[in-house]
Amino acid sequence: MTQTLEAKTTVDRIKIYKTSPELHDAMMALSNAAAKDVDAELGELIKIRASQINHCAFCLDMHTRDARKHGVSDQKLDVLAAWEEAGGLFTERERAALALTEAITELGDGHIPDEVYKRAAEVFSERELGQVIALAVTINAWNRINVTIRLQPSTR
Amino acid sequence: MTTVEKIRRINMNRVSPELYEAMVALSNAAAKDIDPDLAELIKIRASQMNHCAFCLDMHTADARKRGISEQKLTLLAAWEEAGDIFSEQEQAALALTEEMTDLTHRHVSDAVYARAAAAFSERELGQVIAMALAINAWNRIGVTTRLSPPHR
Repeated sequence: MTQTLEAKTTVDRIKIYKTSPELHDAMMALSNAAAKDVDAELGELIKIRASQINHCAFCLDMHTRDARKHGVSDQKLDVLAAWEEAGGLFTERERAALALTEAITELGDGHIPDEVYKRAAEVFSERELGQVIALAVTINAWNRINVTIRLQPSTR
Repeated sequence: MTTVEKIRRINMNRVSPELYEAMVALSNAAAKDIDPDLAELIKIRASQMNHCAFCLDMHTADARKRGISEQKLTLLAAWEEAGDIFSEQEQAALALTEEMTDLTHRHVSDAVYARAAAAFSERELGQVIAMALAINAWNRIGVTTRLSPPHR
């Protein structure tokens, strides 16, 4: 397990945004479509939680900084990976969106349970729910690209 | 793992039409410079792992239209055990697709990446990756909104 989780770079990986420029354009368009009608802070929480589950270092580095810029508290960022245990720190909308994001991200382990879907459907309008799903789908796609090409955050 | 239809789920095309358009554009971008038969195998394998019934129904039908053999479709979920039924390019792409799809459990290993890099040009490899992540995105939409395949 330690070995498979260790991101040791011994093979050079492609610069996919150079070799597949259409992919980059399409991904940017997807991100823009998903960003509409979603609260920016909530959007960052969704993006960070999916990036934690998918182990995307570059994405975590980027979106924790973006979240801080949007005023998301350090406490929320610190506790996000354990949001279910965090009492009232996260709002019901945030919790519903995070539960749905986790289910969407962990698709290999199961389906999207009715109770998770229902919880989100109760706190969001149909349009908002669609956009929450869109954001979760989109960050999952970015996570897959950046983990596959092993994009790394710069040291600050 | 049992799914009982109790709650009606949203229609993404209707509530988020921009997403749907962007997804179609993503699929089109990913479909360039990749062998269409290989693309169907990638799409079916990811859809098996992500349990997207609608996607499996659609892409197995597409694969048959393209002339992919019943044997390949039957053995796809166990391609690693299928000897040389699958070409080295297909095996390399399927191994990469599986690791990209299973991201929650591991990274994309050097061994699997190197195998794909040896079998494909850089451009082709980029498009294989693009195809794997595009179907992963469709799978997530299909499963979340519980799209069901039509009865035939």
